[in-house]
Amino acid sequence: MAVADPQVELVGPSRRERGRVADFVVRLFRDKPLGAAGGTVFMLFLIAGALAGLLAPRGINDIDLVNRFHPPSWEFLLGTDRLGRDMLSRILFGARLSVIVGFCAAGLSTVISVVLGGLSGYLGGRFDMAVQRLVDAWMVFPGLVLLIVVISVVGPGLTQIIVVLALLYGVGGSRIIRGSVVSAREHTYIHAAQSLGAGTPFILWRHILPNIMPVIIVLFTTRVGACILSEAGLAFLGLGIPPPAPTWGSMLSGSARTYMYLGPWLALIPGICLTVVVYSINVFGDALRDLLDPRMRGIR
Amino acid sequence: MTGRRWARAPCLVVCTLAVSFGTAAGAEDPQPPQYGGTLNIGTVYVTLSALSWDPADWNWKTNHDAGMIYEQLFAADLEQTIRRGGRYPFRSEGWLPPESIRGELAETWEWQDPLTLVVRLRRGVLFPERPGIMAEREFDAEDVVWSFTRLAESPKAQPSYLEHIERLEARDPHTVVFHFREFNAEWDLRFGYGYYSSILPRELAKVDPRDWRNVTGSGPFRLERFVPGNSETFVRRPDYWDRERIDGVAYPIPFVNRVIYRTIKDQATQQTALRTAKIDIFEVVPWLAVDYLKKTTPELQWARYLGSTGQFMALRVDQKPFDDLRVRRALNLAVDKREIAELFYGGNAELFAYPMHPDFIGYFEPLESMPKSIQELFRYDPKKAKQLLAEAGYPNGFRFKVQVNAADPDHTDMLPLLAGYLAKIGVEIEIEPLEYAAFLSAMTTKTHAAGYLMRSGHVNPTTSLRKSFGTGQTWNPSMWSDPDYDRRLKEAQIERDEATRQRMIRALTVDIIDQAPYIWLPTPYNYIAWWPWVKNYGGELRAGAVRPGPIYARIWIDQEQKRRLGF
Amino acid sequence: MRAYILRRLLALGPTLLFASLIVFLAVRLIPGDVIDLMLSQNDISTGQDRERLAAALGLDQPMPTQYLRWVGHALTGDLGRSLWQNTPVTEQILDRLPISFELGLLALVIALTFAIPIGVYSAIRQDTVGDYLTRSFSILMLAMPSFWLGTLVMVFPSVWWRWSPPLEYVAFFENPLANLSQMIVPAIILGLAMSAVTMRMTRTMMLEVLRQDYIRTARAKGLSEWLVVTRHALRNGLIPVVTLVGLQAPLLIGGAVIMEQIFVIPGMGLLLLEAVSQRDYPIISGVFLVVGLSVLLINLAVDLSYGLLDPNVRYR
Repeated sequence: MAVADPQVELVGPSRRERGRVADFVVRLFRDKPLGAAGGTVFMLFLIAGALAGLLAPRGINDIDLVNRFHPPSWEFLLGTDRLGRDMLSRILFGARLSVIVGFCAAGLSTVISVVLGGLSGYLGGRFDMAVQRLVDAWMVFPGLVLLIVVISVVGPGLTQIIVVLALLYGVGGSRIIRGSVVSAREHTYIHAAQSLGAGTPFILWRHILPNIMPVIIVLFTTRVGACILSEAGLAFLGLGIPPPAPTWGSMLSGSARTYMYLGPWLALIPGICLTVVVYSINVFGDALRDLLDPRMRGIR
Repeated sequence: MTGRRWARAPCLVVCTLAVSFGTAAGAEDPQPPQYGGTLNIGTVYVTLSALSWDPADWNWKTNHDAGMIYEQLFAADLEQTIRRGGRYPFRSEGWLPPESIRGELAETWEWQDPLTLVVRLRRGVLFPERPGIMAEREFDAEDVVWSFTRLAESPKAQPSYLEHIERLEARDPHTVVFHFREFNAEWDLRFGYGYYSSILPRELAKVDPRDWRNVTGSGPFRLERFVPGNSETFVRRPDYWDRERIDGVAYPIPFVNRVIYRTIKDQATQQTALRTAKIDIFEVVPWLAVDYLKKTTPELQWARYLGSTGQFMALRVDQKPFDDLRVRRALNLAVDKREIAELFYGGNAELFAYPMHPDFIGYFEPLESMPKSIQELFRYDPKKAKQLLAEAGYPNGFRFKVQVNAADPDHTDMLPLLAGYLAKIGVEIEIEPLEYAAFLSAMTTKTHAAGYLMRSGHVNPTTSLRKSFGTGQTWNPSMWSDPDYDRRLKEAQIERDEATRQRMIRALTVDIIDQAPYIWLPTPYNYIAWWPWVKNYGGELRAGAVRPGPIYARIWIDQEQKRRLGF
Repeated sequence: MRAYILRRLLALGPTLLFASLIVFLAVRLIPGDVIDLMLSQNDISTGQDRERLAAALGLDQPMPTQYLRWVGHALTGDLGRSLWQNTPVTEQILDRLPISFELGLLALVIALTFAIPIGVYSAIRQDTVGDYLTRSFSILMLAMPSFWLGTLVMVFPSVWWRWSPPLEYVAFFENPLANLSQMIVPAIILGLAMSAVTMRMTRTMMLEVLRQDYIRTARAKGLSEWLVVTRHALRNGLIPVVTLVGLQAPLLIGGAVIMEQIFVIPGMGLLLLEAVSQRDYPIISGVFLVVGLSVLLINLAVDLSYGLLDPNVRYR
C-alpha cells in the first residue's frame, strides 16, 4: 500500500490485521529510523517503569538523612535527594507514574475527543452548533490556569489529575476529530450505507471510526507527551500527585529546582528523563503521522 | 523604666545574637552618611504583595507596606539595636520589649490612674499636601481619634481587639486620653505600634483609603507606584520630621531617594536577584542557600536569626485517636526532632523555640530547665511510643490524613520524613497538599484534617498562647479547649506586673507543651544578606508590628563602594 | 461571507456568557472563600462577622442576582472593583494586557522564525540527517518543561557570570532596550516551545503541497527546486502562521504564568494567579472575560484569514 500517496484511502478494517501490524513495524524501522528510535526509547521507559520494582536498588521512601545530597557514586548511581532517598529508584518508579498519567490521561482524553467530535461531526446541525460553542467556551481559557482552579476544587491526587488532564485535552482535541469525521461523512459508501437504512451507531462504529483511526492514533501519541508535561507543570505549582509519590515533576520542582546548583543531579536527571521521554513519544508520533496520514494538521 | 532586670538573662542572648560575617559588618564606616540612591529589598514577605493599604481592612500585612507611609504612636527605639551596642535585635513580629519603645507620633505618655493613659503628641509633624485630598497641615489629636474610630467601625473589625478600651478622647489638639475598661498586657501593641494602629489624616474620609493612590501620611515615604505581584515603590519625603543621630550629628532622613519592595514568587529567582545585586537586601535567605552564596558572592554581609514563626503538626484533639493524650505523646516520641534539627536542617534550627521564642526574654524558658515530662517529648524514643500506643488501644497503629500547604517546599519535603518516623510505630499518614488559601481556610473554618502541618507566628508572648490554645480561636488548629486554661490565659492578659505575668506565661507554656496538642517541631533559622554598600544597617527587621519603615528610612547607600564593586 | 461573519459575531455572545458563568461559579466553588480569607486574622470569628463582611462586599446576594448584576455591568464596560484593593478591575487589566501581549507577540515571532525554515527544510529533505537534526531541535524544545529550562537560565548564568536578565519591569515606551532585555529570554523559551507545533504544520503542509500535481508539473517544466519551493509552496506558509496564532491565542493573552513567575513579569497570568490565591472574584471573572473575548476574536480573525489565503476554503 502506497502510504506516500495521500489519495489512497485507509478504508475499513482489514481481515489481515496481524499481517498489517507487522508490515507496519517493518516500514517504520525502514523508512523512519528517528521515529522508530523514539518508539524504542519509549518502550524502554515503559519496561523500566513496569519493572521498577525489580530494577530499583532501594525503596523509594528509604530515608537516610546521613547520606542526603549524596552525589552520584557506585553506591548511589544517580545520587540522593534532600532526605537521602535513592534517586535511581525514584526515577524508575517515577517512570511508572509518568507512564500511568500519560497513558490514562491521553487515553481518556482521546475517548472524550472521539465521542464529542464524532457525534458533533456526524450528526451536525443544531447539535453540532451547540457542542462547538461549548468547546469554544472551554478552549478560551488558558490551560494551566484552568488546571489550577479545577485541582484547587477537587484536590490533588492521581485520579483527579488524570481526569482533569483528560477533560482539558479531550475537549480541545474534539475539534480535530470533528474535522476528520466531517470529511469522512461525505464519502459515497457512507451515503450508500445510510440509504440502505443502516443505523447511526452502526455507521459510526463500522465506517466512520475505522476511517478516522489514523487521526486517533496520532492524536493519542501526542497527547501522551503533553499530559506528562502538564503533570510536571502542576507539580511545579505544588498541585501534582501528592508526596511521597516519586513523580518526575515533583522531583524537579520544589527544593530540588531551587537548589539545583547545590546538587545538579537532583534537577538535571529527572529533567533529562522527562525531556527524553516526551521527545521520544513526539518523534514516534510524527513518524506515525507521516506513515498513516500526511494530511493531518495542527495537532498540538 | 529601669531595664536592670534584663541583665540577668545573658545566657539567653545566644539565640538572638546577630552573627555577622565578612569584613565591614559591625564596624561602622567612619565616613558620614550619603544621600540618594535606590534601595531594592526582598523583604521577609518577598512573595506577597500588599494585601491592603488601609488599616481598617484589618489585614496583618498592611503595616508592612503602608507602615512606610503612615506613622504610629509608638515605634522601636532603633538606637538600642545590637549593632549600635544596645541589646535588642528588633526582629519579633509583634513585640517590642517595653524598654525598647520610643514615641513616634507620641512625645510622652503616662498613666494618670490605672485605667487612664494620657498621651502627649509630637508637635510640628506635618501631613504633606496632596492635591484633591488635603493641603499641608499639622498632625493633631483629632486624627488619632478619627483613625481609631474608623478602625472600630470597619465591617472587617475584630471586636475583641480593642475591647479593653472604653473610649478615647482628644483632650486638646496635642493630647489624647485612652480610657481603659481593663488593663491589657498588649496595650502598647494594640494601639501603639500594632498591626492596625496607623494614624491617618482625617481628610482621607473624603476619598477611599483602600485605593493605593490615596495613601498619604506623615511617614518618611510616599507611595509612588504599586504593581500587585511585582513591586511597591516608595519615594523619599524631603520634609520628614525625624532625624537620625550618627556620631552626635542629627541627619534628616530618609537617606535614600527610593525604596522598592520587590515581589518575587520564585525562590530560585530570589536568590539570583540577590546574587546579581538586583536586590540590595534579602531578608529571608533559606539556610540551604547560604554556604553556596557565601562562596560565590563573598562580598555579601550576613545576619542569622531564629525564625519568628514556629512549625508543628497539629493533631485535632476533638477527634479520635488524638483525644487521647497517650497517642499525642506517642507521636511526639516517635519523631526524632534532634535529627530533624541537625540533619534535615543541617544544624540551622533550634530544637525548642515554640510556642515561646527565645527573644521573649523573661517569658522564655529553655528546654534544659523544663520539667522532665517536657524534656521527654523532645527525646527520640520509638519503643516507648509504641508502648503508649498499645496502652491507648492502638497496638497496630492507625492511619490519618495530614494537610500541608502545597506552596511550602520545606514542608512538602519534611512530610515524607515525618511519615517515615511514624511508619516505624505503625502509624500511617496520607498527605494532602492544598493550595494556600484552601489550606488556610480549612483551619479557619475548622474543616481541616486530623493532622495539619503548619507554621504559626509567635507574634508576642501572650498572643502566641492565646491564639493557639484559646477556645474557639481561629488559629487553634488542634481545637484545644479547656475552660481552666482560658481563664489562666485571661488572667495573664490582664496582669499588670510584668514579672508576675512572665511567671504565669512560663507556667502556661509548660502546661500546654506537656499536653502535646501538636507534634512539636524544631524552629529553623533564617538568614539576612545585604550588599556591603548598604550602610547603617545590621539586619534589623521590625520597628513595630511587622513594620520595617523606620529601619529603611535610616539606611544609606555608599554609591562609591557600589561602583567599585562593579554595580 | 458577510453572513458568516455576522453569525460568528452573534455566536460570541452566548459563548462568552456561558464561559463567564462557568468561571463565575467555579471560582466560588474553590474551597476557602474570600470572606474566610479576610476574616482569617480574627481571634474568633462568628457567623455575624461573616454576614457583615459579606454584605459590605456585596456577596450576600443570591448567586443569580450577583451574576446578572455582574453581566449587566460588564456590558457597560465596568468589570467591578477588586475586593481587596478596591481598584477598578478594568484598570488593572489594562495595565497588564499590553505586557502579556508583548511577551506573547515576541514569543510568536521567535517561534515562526525557527518553525517555518525548519518545517520547509525538513519537508524538502524528508528523512535525511538534516531533517532529523533540525526537527529534533524543535521537538526537544517542546519536550523540555519550560519551568525547568527557565530556572536553568535563571540560576546558572548568575552563578557563573553574575548575570541574569533584568528583573524589574520597565514599560516598552519608557525604555525599549531595558524592556526587551527582560522580555527576550522568556520569549525565546516560550517561542521555541511553541515552534514545534508550527514546524510540524509547515512540514506536513509542505509535504502535501510538494506532492500536488502542479508542483510535479512545475518540476517537470524544469524549474529549479528553489523556485518551486518559494513560488508555490511557501506561499501557503501563511496558513500555519495564522493557525499558530489561533492555537496560541490563550497563551498570547495570559497563559504564560510560569514564565511570568520565574522572570518576574507582571502580566495577566500573574494577575490571575494572584487573584485566584486571594479569591478576588471580580478580577478572576474580569481576566477570564477579557482573555476569552480576545481569544474568540483572534480565532475569528484566523478563520477569516484562511479565506484570504486559500481560495478553496468556503464558509458555511
